[in-house]
Amino acid sequence: MKEWISKIGKKGKVTNNDKLEATTSQDTTGQFTDNFILNLEMVKQEIGHNWDVHFREFNLGRTGIRSIIIFVDGLSDKDLIDKHIMPSLMVDFSAEYKQDLPYLKGGISKEFIKNEVLSISEVEEVRSIKEFTSKVLTGSTALIMDGSLNALILGTTKLKTRTIEEPVSEALVRGPRVGFTESLSDNTSFLRGSGEIENLSLVKFQVGKRSKKDLVVAYIKDIVDPELVQEVENRIKKIDMDSVPESGYVEQLIEDNYLSPFPQVQNTERPDRVIAALMEGRVAILLDGTPFALIAPVTLSMMLQSPEDYYERWIPGTFIRMLRYLAAILALFTPSLYIAFISFHSGMIPTKLAISIIGTRSGVPFPALIEALFMEISIEILREAGLRLPKPIGPAMGIVGGLIIGEAAVQAGIVSPVLVIVVALTAISSFSIPQYSAGFTIRILRFPAMLCAATFGLYGVILFFLFMASHLVKLKSFGVPFLSPAVPYRLSEWKDLMVRMPLMMMKRRPKMMHTKNPIRKG
Amino acid sequence: MILSPKDKITTPQAAVIVINFILGTGLLTLPRSSTEKVHTPDVWISVILGGAIAIIAGVIMVKLSQQFPEKTFYQYINDIVGKWVGRLLSLVVICYFLTTSGFQLRAMAEVIKYLLLEGTPTWAIIMIFMWVSLYLIIGGINPIARLFEIILPLTVILFLVVTFMSIKIFEIDNLRPVLGEGIIPVLKGVKTTALAFSGPEIMLLLLPFMNQPKKAVKALIVGVSIPLIFYVITVVMVIGALSVDGVVMRTWPTLDLIRSFEISGLIFERFESLLLVVWIMQIFATFTITYYAAALGLAQLSKKSIHPFMFGLLPILYIIAMIPRNINDLFKQGDFVGNMALFLFGLLPLLLLIISRIKGGKYETNT
Amino acid sequence: MKQTHSKIRPLFISLSVFLFLSLTGCWSSHEIEEQSLGIGLAFDKGKQSSIEKKLNEQGGGYSKRNLITATYQFITPLVASSTTKQAGPQQKSYVNVSESGDSFHQMVREISLRSEQPVTAHHMKVVVISESLAKSYKLEQLLDQNFRESEVRPSCLVLISKGRASKTLETKKAGEIPAFRLAGIVENAYRSTRILPPMSHIKVESKIKSGSSFLLQNVLSANGQVKFAGAAVIDGKTHKMTGFLNEEELEGVTWITGKGKGGVVKSFYKETGQLIVYEIETMKSRIIPRVKGNNISFDVNIESVGRLSENWVLSGNTFKNEFLKKAEKSSEKEVKRLVRNVLEKMQKEYKVDVAGFGNRLRIENPKVWKKVKKDWDQTFSETPINYNVKLTINDYGTSGGSKK
Repeated sequence: MKEWISKIGKKGKVTNNDKLEATTSQDTTGQFTDNFILNLEMVKQEIGHNWDVHFREFNLGRTGIRSIIIFVDGLSDKDLIDKHIMPSLMVDFSAEYKQDLPYLKGGISKEFIKNEVLSISEVEEVRSIKEFTSKVLTGSTALIMDGSLNALILGTTKLKTRTIEEPVSEALVRGPRVGFTESLSDNTSFLRGSGEIENLSLVKFQVGKRSKKDLVVAYIKDIVDPELVQEVENRIKKIDMDSVPESGYVEQLIEDNYLSPFPQVQNTERPDRVIAALMEGRVAILLDGTPFALIAPVTLSMMLQSPEDYYERWIPGTFIRMLRYLAAILALFTPSLYIAFISFHSGMIPTKLAISIIGTRSGVPFPALIEALFMEISIEILREAGLRLPKPIGPAMGIVGGLIIGEAAVQAGIVSPVLVIVVALTAISSFSIPQYSAGFTIRILRFPAMLCAATFGLYGVILFFLFMASHLVKLKSFGVPFLSPAVPYRLSEWKDLMVRMPLMMMKRRPKMMHTKNPIRKG
Repeated sequence: MILSPKDKITTPQAAVIVINFILGTGLLTLPRSSTEKVHTPDVWISVILGGAIAIIAGVIMVKLSQQFPEKTFYQYINDIVGKWVGRLLSLVVICYFLTTSGFQLRAMAEVIKYLLLEGTPTWAIIMIFMWVSLYLIIGGINPIARLFEIILPLTVILFLVVTFMSIKIFEIDNLRPVLGEGIIPVLKGVKTTALAFSGPEIMLLLLPFMNQPKKAVKALIVGVSIPLIFYVITVVMVIGALSVDGVVMRTWPTLDLIRSFEISGLIFERFESLLLVVWIMQIFATFTITYYAAALGLAQLSKKSIHPFMFGLLPILYIIAMIPRNINDLFKQGDFVGNMALFLFGLLPLLLLIISRIKGGKYETNT
Repeated sequence: MKQTHSKIRPLFISLSVFLFLSLTGCWSSHEIEEQSLGIGLAFDKGKQSSIEKKLNEQGGGYSKRNLITATYQFITPLVASSTTKQAGPQQKSYVNVSESGDSFHQMVREISLRSEQPVTAHHMKVVVISESLAKSYKLEQLLDQNFRESEVRPSCLVLISKGRASKTLETKKAGEIPAFRLAGIVENAYRSTRILPPMSHIKVESKIKSGSSFLLQNVLSANGQVKFAGAAVIDGKTHKMTGFLNEEELEGVTWITGKGKGGVVKSFYKETGQLIVYEIETMKSRIIPRVKGNNISFDVNIESVGRLSENWVLSGNTFKNEFLKKAEKSSEKEVKRLVRNVLEKMQKEYKVDVAGFGNRLRIENPKVWKKVKKDWDQTFSETPINYNVKLTINDYGTSGGSKK
């Protein structure tokens, strides 16, 4: 009994507050009033025309107080509504409430409903119709009662999630087989769930002016540089878009230099990669509705690293990593060097090789540039086609296409066999880069490299390299130089650059991140 | 120009800038130009002595600059010798940087035309080179320093690989006797070799950019020593393989060294392409830093933004590069630049240092 | 951020426009298959080939003196494709073209009038000069064009042929490329002391410049076959060829210089007159100049370690050291003979120093060398030379013991 009284007291306070709010913001339209009919009208006007929005009117308990719940079919968990919300409002309610009939006169207390009736975890009050509709349309159930100023929003969102699968774009031999899914809460739970991370902060933002989406910025509070978090948050707040369907939008809207061919934010499907990045003092951005998380800031070396480097022992780890660097260089420069040497500097290839190249090329009617462009472009088309085709025929198509085009082109005398080797080598090398988008960059860049080579030979290739290097040294990702820690020289961090030294030697976090806590624990 | 605090460079970066500035045309021509003067196999001693002189001159320059750690040469020279003389000297220094960069540009174009791109017009070769350089220097000193840091390891690795391959035709007898004709011929070559080390003068401008100006001397000594090692290796290998008499005959002796052997079995068999890669990158570095130094000078003289000067200098550099009519004129231009450097950076800093020391007390109370 | 972007954009645009425009230039691009690879070159006294004569009869030719005939060996794309594509080469895998004239460069350019694929010299492997030409022209004049131009690599070898040089660039074996054959034989120095260390253009040039006499490998040809036989002596003053060293004399020079990498010494066992062959594993020679006042003399210490590789001495027991000692002695005697032989020839007949005595003097006694440098070959022919030979047999293969 005593409890009850105290609650009433509280209730009085709350209603007072309600009144206060109501009076102060009376003039603003789009807010709920205490007139049930009016409220209903307003809601119906706003979203009533949608066929999937369901209105269910009923009386609270047996009190005769009109109330209504509104939910979207398919988005809300009907099971929850039927089993927990409706019964407690209509059936259980009455039994308890009847006893204190006298109190009923002044209308019902939403505190009471919240505290005693609804056996559901997420309950929230909203006043503005805008907020109300956005909640309802994302799957919550709204409860409007006669005489109450606010609508109650009940968390009944039930997302259609798929099962957790292995990440498609970043396959590993060794490592967790877990990939992010489209559900934000699943994704954050991966981060939380994989071992208890101290001070993991997940800060929520909303992006998109029209279609609002949740976006979570994740970082570890006592490691990350607060300035970095500030910068990331500022850039996210500046996003001005109707809708943000995928994290690629976010990436492009927050990156430093939109003219650069290099991705300045890393995307990944792997929770383990995100956690590793967080541990280095980076910031991760997760967006609802996409399995791709973003990591920032990013450096060039990260593009060529794979979590597997760390899961394997350090000797194979180092070997694989060096191999990848080699592959990147090959993918970028082999076709252009081929052109340079074939069309310009035949004096710089070994004599016997020169003779065999002359022999195989003697029937080819095109200069090396056209020949190389022809093959490189057709292999790109093949790659693209293989990607778009239904899964069962994709790989087959790739193999058949590659074989046929390569073999037939040589047979027809359009290209020389040496070039086929060069193109194949380039293609394989570019696919060995663990980041899909980084591989893309390299595949694109080799075309200007080829043009440079066709104009200026080796000199052109060198200048292209210098131009690219000039661009890279100017590029920054969230204030971190893109090429660090390679340059400026940070010898202590080179043990995790081209090579991967034993884990016990990597006791410090990267200095470029200006972490608060530079030493890795343990 | 106001320096933002982030536009600072570290001590190793300062050293790297000096290294990349020094290594340039000299890498290909030093063996000939010095052997011409010395005419004994002791050229390498001249090179070491030349390096030592460069270090001494460099230390004087650093000491001078350290009196005004917040200012570049263009700014503090006014404090020492007065506004008008100071401006004049600054202009001369700017001219020096411009001529050096024009010289490097043309030397590069000549070698490229001779070895790689016979028939390509010089303007095309020079133009694309200048554009890439312009793109880099727009970013300021920090990207320059970082690019140099990329170039340096490539240079070291490729250069060492290539030169040590030539061990196949190396004959120690070509380097003997040591000091067979006494020290006199060695001294004759010192001027030439010391000029090959022109580059420490960048310290006059670099100091205010450094985050630890006190370590400038260290940076300078490292910055000169590494090219010293490079030059000694080059001279030793070239003379060892081609002999003193053979070196004098060749226009670009280091290139001929690499072209004088083939190693079958290794993928390349011929390695001059690697040397050219190294060399073009080094010329690029030298060109870029002198270009930047000249633009910085003009900007600080006129107290305006640096960017218009960067663009404005492009055609001027092109004209300077095209002045020499043939390759002999080019080498004459090189000698002229060298003599200019001798005066500007050998004698002048010492003089200025003495003057500023005499006036010394005044600045300290003022600042 | 935005500010820099606005500056980068025009740069980007101008660069790409420039790139595309310049693509239309492609000034220096010559596709590899549009060229013939020149791989060998032979210089002879002027003698027009029959084709040239016929062409001249029809009105070809330009103002020139037919002093020199240059024979170019090259691989045309056609030849190259036939050798690489089919299972085995059916016909000749090279093309030889001769041109007569007086300027080497003009002659090369004449070839462009006769073939659609101009010859490039980037891959030139050997230059063979005929004896008659080397005797009448200075070497530096003959090779000047090669030294000067950027195409011929300084690593290209120089050989002398006693007969017609163009014959050394011919072969009858299908699939064989004569220029490669010549360049390949030079690599065999580890198997014979009769092969000189390779003399490339750059070495020839520095020898010419230094004014010292030197040797060039001589090559003979007969019926499409070649043989390295002895060496031509090039005089340091005239830069012309003055004479020949035969194969044994060349061997002697190799022993004096100590630059041999391998080879055999055949000698006869003193007691029975039967054959003993010593195979060289290492060879070392030290030339020590001795200067007393104005008198210069040289000591030559030759040391070698090797194995007994062939033994016809039936009584010889290789397990016994006495026999090995005797075998060593007999080989030493043979080496001494070779050395004496060649010294005689150098000092008495040709009066030139081709074994590097002068070089040693320069290194050990630079002051004396300065004085005698000018007339060194003359001085050398009068200097006494002492020599010591010490051979050591440390191995006799898998078969040993007495054969009785």
